[in-house]
Amino acid sequence: MFLNPWSLALTLCSLVVLVLGAIAGKTAVRVLRFWEPGSDSNRQIRLENEIWLSSTLVAYGLGFQIITLILFVLAADQFCQVIVGAMCATGALLADPYGMPALLVKLFGVFFYGFWILLHQLDIRSEHYPLVRIKYLALLLLLPMLVLDASLQTLYIAGIKPDIITSCCAVVFGESTGGGTNLMTGYSQQGLLMAFIGSIVGLMAVGWGLLRRWRSWLAGFYAVGWLWFFGLSLVVITTVISSYVYAMPYHKCPFCLLKPEYHYFGFALYGALIPAAFFGASAAIAGLVRGKVGLAGVVDGYQRLAVKISLILLVIFSGLSFYHYLKYLISGGEG
Amino acid sequence: MAQTNLEKQINILDYALSSLWRRRMKSLNVLLVFAAVIFLLASFQMVTQALSDKAKQVLVYTPEITVQKMSAGRQEAIPLAYRDKLARIFGIRRVVPRIWGYYFDEVLLANYTVMGMDVEEMPEGSRLDTTLASGRMPTPDEQGRVVIGHSVKKALDLEGRTTFSFFRPDLSLKAFTVSGEFSRDTDILTNDLIVMNLADARDLYAIPAGMVTDLCVYVANPKEIDTIARKISEALPSVRVLTRPQIQKTYQVVFGWRSGFGSICLLSALAAFVILAWDKASGLSPEERREIAILKVLGWETSDILAVRFWESVIVSGLACILGITAAYIHVVYFAASLFRPVLMGWSVLRPDLHLLPRMAAGDILLILAFTVIPYLAATVIPAWRSATVPADSALGG
Repeated sequence: MFLNPWSLALTLCSLVVLVLGAIAGKTAVRVLRFWEPGSDSNRQIRLENEIWLSSTLVAYGLGFQIITLILFVLAADQFCQVIVGAMCATGALLADPYGMPALLVKLFGVFFYGFWILLHQLDIRSEHYPLVRIKYLALLLLLPMLVLDASLQTLYIAGIKPDIITSCCAVVFGESTGGGTNLMTGYSQQGLLMAFIGSIVGLMAVGWGLLRRWRSWLAGFYAVGWLWFFGLSLVVITTVISSYVYAMPYHKCPFCLLKPEYHYFGFALYGALIPAAFFGASAAIAGLVRGKVGLAGVVDGYQRLAVKISLILLVIFSGLSFYHYLKYLISGGEG
Repeated sequence: MAQTNLEKQINILDYALSSLWRRRMKSLNVLLVFAAVIFLLASFQMVTQALSDKAKQVLVYTPEITVQKMSAGRQEAIPLAYRDKLARIFGIRRVVPRIWGYYFDEVLLANYTVMGMDVEEMPEGSRLDTTLASGRMPTPDEQGRVVIGHSVKKALDLEGRTTFSFFRPDLSLKAFTVSGEFSRDTDILTNDLIVMNLADARDLYAIPAGMVTDLCVYVANPKEIDTIARKISEALPSVRVLTRPQIQKTYQVVFGWRSGFGSICLLSALAAFVILAWDKASGLSPEERREIAILKVLGWETSDILAVRFWESVIVSGLACILGITAAYIHVVYFAASLFRPVLMGWSVLRPDLHLLPRMAAGDILLILAFTVIPYLAATVIPAWRSATVPADSALGG
């Protein structure tokens, strides 16, 4: 279904990102082959100019990818109107086998571009550009991901046929399986909630410990903890938190949160969670390049900042996610 | 650190604004063309949205299932006797026969929609009188009484008289008396409509007794629509069974398709604009080269100049979006989208005066931004880099 404004916009954005990526990739190859920090040849000066271009292009690409991520979910929400049996983005994304993979690749893509920009920002803080080769190697590794993203998205859009029968989120995430596919079963709500609260407390404790005294193994633990917490949060949002937001016990869906009916609550929730996980994990990743010339001070500064930001966002995220839950427990829910 | 960084960005923004102002004719050109492109895309999007909303509203009142008889792949009259077969299916609330046709007025070159039905049989039949501006619906035993829509009244010039005649297929005349007129609030449905009772419609179209054009099936429980539709098509072979959800989805697909098609046509406008933006951004005058060279001598870095160019693009796109989207809203709401209506609406000659009310959610604005601003930013980034890497010595020395 390409003849739809949403599909066209997504395809257009992907094309733009691919073109930007290809231009940046050309620079990357030249940098990897000809980069000589000590030289003052014409080529080296040209390359030093070009790395500005490529980093700007990747920064733009990151921005565009974040927009396409939102656009993709909103588009799926629109597509559900023409797919039999789908009532929200869940149904539309499960309507063909490429929907969910495309979403996941987009989601993780945002993290990878973010890490790249982090490397770049650290790199230009030092006069020696110590990370140039690593950075451009990473850029070349990112390109297949861009292509994968664009192809999955194109396959998904091509596969959407308005007469496919799919399931609505009430079946997919609900407790009564009734023969439909169910994404989230076998977790007890209480256990999940305990794990969720435990992880929040644990992350806060580790973060606090890191701010008092920096230890690199603890930073690694913090990063792994954030990755675990990110996955867990997505599950908890789907199975526990969402139904309190909707005030409907059987409506469990991570996408309907983004709708205007729920005051775009999902944007605040995911908008706190995704950057929090990014900063939490990036502290350890920045630590990996700490040994390079002239980076020690910059990296130390960044790591403290990143842990602080992630802790603040964690507090915001926990507040948002427990708001409806506590409101229900205290005042007995809506009205 | 964050404080100084913010301050720096604000200063850069300040510089970007003054730089746009210094080149105001050039900026204004780009801004106006950009706003025009956004205006076209946004009005298209808004019309589609408003029309599909309208269709959704209207379709709430259609019967759950419509049954039509097919012969040689074309629709033909359906015998009333089929009603008895349908009555046996459990879950059907009511079956209402209907004659639905078009009447082409050769003098006025207008198409009217003619609907023949027995009002009492419809589930909400007794409430139909509330849709009338004057008069009442014809009862089954009143011959020759009709209720007409606003445009029909205007087309037939029925001010001050209540009778008019239509030709039967054998060119004999059939006279009608107007017994009521639909209110303007239902124009989207009733503008070109003439409602009469079944016997009159049969007489007008010379349909044999015991035949109608379609049967409207009202279902008690909406969840059973598909099951009942399947049972009907099993019980009555050679009929076409249309369900309301199917019709709704078809409308969605058609509107989505039309707006997608329109967007593709507008893509060429977008491409032209992107080329213009690229061209405007890459043609560096000697003054601009000197300006950048001076900035560099003063200690600006390449990244700062790139930031200036970025803010310039953001300001231009932001202003163009506000202009374009506002203009599109005015075009759709106050001018009823007169530029695009022929593309998106049907072919009927008597068109209702539409009052479209687009609903702009944040998502739709994001869609328009993705369509226009992203290509624009992408088109200006490489020229911006070219200008930012002008070597200081070459520009000043020349």
